[in-house]
Amino acid sequence: MNGIETHNLTKLYGEHVGMKDVSLEIKEGEVFGFVGPNGAGKSTAIRTLLGLLHPTSGSGTLFGEDITKGEKVRARIGYLPSEVNYYEEMSSMELLEYHMRFYGQSDPSKIEELAAYFELDLQKKITDLSFGNKKKCAILQSLLHDPDLLILDEPTSGLDPLMQNRFFEHLEERNKQGTTIFFSSHILSEVQRMCDRAAVIKQGEIIAIENINELMAKQVKRARITFENKKEIEKISGMNDLQWHGKKLHFNYVGNIRPLIDWMQTQDLQDVTLDEPDLETIFMNYYKR
Amino acid sequence: MNLNLYFTEVKRNRKNLITWSLIAVGFTALVIAIFPTMGDMGKDLVALMDKMPAELSKAMGMDAETWTNILGFYSTYYGIYIILLVGIFCMSTGATIVSKEERDRTSEFLLTRPLSRKQIFKEKMMAMLTLTFMIFLIQTIIAIVLVAIFGSNVRWSAFATMHVHGLVLILFFTCLGVLISFFFQPKKNFMGMVVGIIFGSYFLNAVSRAAESIEWMGYISPFRYMDFDPLNPEYSINWIGVVGLLLISSGLLYVAFRLFEKKDIAG
Repeated sequence: MNGIETHNLTKLYGEHVGMKDVSLEIKEGEVFGFVGPNGAGKSTAIRTLLGLLHPTSGSGTLFGEDITKGEKVRARIGYLPSEVNYYEEMSSMELLEYHMRFYGQSDPSKIEELAAYFELDLQKKITDLSFGNKKKCAILQSLLHDPDLLILDEPTSGLDPLMQNRFFEHLEERNKQGTTIFFSSHILSEVQRMCDRAAVIKQGEIIAIENINELMAKQVKRARITFENKKEIEKISGMNDLQWHGKKLHFNYVGNIRPLIDWMQTQDLQDVTLDEPDLETIFMNYYKR
Repeated sequence: MNLNLYFTEVKRNRKNLITWSLIAVGFTALVIAIFPTMGDMGKDLVALMDKMPAELSKAMGMDAETWTNILGFYSTYYGIYIILLVGIFCMSTGATIVSKEERDRTSEFLLTRPLSRKQIFKEKMMAMLTLTFMIFLIQTIIAIVLVAIFGSNVRWSAFATMHVHGLVLILFFTCLGVLISFFFQPKKNFMGMVVGIIFGSYFLNAVSRAAESIEWMGYISPFRYMDFDPLNPEYSINWIGVVGLLLISSGLLYVAFRLFEKKDIAG
């Protein structure tokens, strides 16, 4: 059975397209990335899966259960929102206990254990928490009832690198034990680390579903090379958009990195910079071809 | 029944409940405690009242006996001020119990729990009605005690009729508050709107009684059907009014529920 399945799921706000014909199949136990720029429809899709939004057309299931009647299956789901808004008058502890009781659980030691791992002060009121600490509280909330499916919307925003890493390690551990993870993000490196496959969404539509390793192999690199002397070069395959600026050559490179390095070794170079363009450029570049 | 949500809702409103119960009880105590003094002045007032235009005293819901009978005296205050004070709490609670979640954007948390919207709405309404009954009972019990202390030869059936009518009015305003919150979202709170609606419908009825040409307007007001006239020997519970208003109240909640069920919770 699939953890998440959608068929032509569509959400329109009048004329405006929230998402259109989104069809996904995420297997149980998979870590599935959901990437796209801000405003592409990632949150719309997630909110529809969770029953917060009513789809205009199309259908979806979570572990085989219709998302429009999802109250039962939601007991098996942990949701980490991108923006955390909790009851400000409650402390983290009160909120998390309130949360646990919805799942028929009431073991404060479990809360304390996870809070220690993520270094969250449970006694502070939500209103007094920093952005990052609110996020930690939301992380605990998504994990505490041991869900079978985690739906994470921009999970690392607000977390420092140390905490991000700790969170990812925890997620990897959970995934080993069988938890399915739906990982929405606009940060490619996160998706690269965590996910087996990823769907790319743009302007509400899925433009590709890719195996991450294959995607990375196809990834565009922005290269800036300074030669000792300007000279004619022999283009190798994958080089695009070459631009000379004096002794400097700028170009985009698509494909396996090995041939590029081999080529560079044959040149007399002064300096090399390789960087990743932002995610949108990568996909624009990739899907243009 | 999801007790977790129910109790959390009741608990979240307990400070307001305590505050407004104290205000309502305090006002009740003040009104009844000054009756003996007013009762002495009553004889002079009766003379004065006789000279007042009939329309004015009608609109104010007063007649000579208002000042000499404890229930008559209490009813002029109960019929508007106490209903208003209790109503402010109940109608505001109704107006915020669902809408506050959306305003504070906590509805995302609540609606992603393993509960259907129907369950959530039901629990919230149960909590709201619990609070409504609690403030009503607190005020009523205190009023019974004080009327028993300060009054003599009290016609308790008239007292009971007044309070049944009061309860129905309060329930009506509570449910109206829930529905209104689906259409209006004031920046600060619902206080102004609540006071306006309760006072407004009271005066609509009062004014319509004074002049025949605008009498029809009074029929829009629930105060028309739930009257407070304990000095009238025929004063008794208007059962048709009670059932009618309770049905309308249920209808208001049903419409609110359908709106809640269909609502998209945007981020």
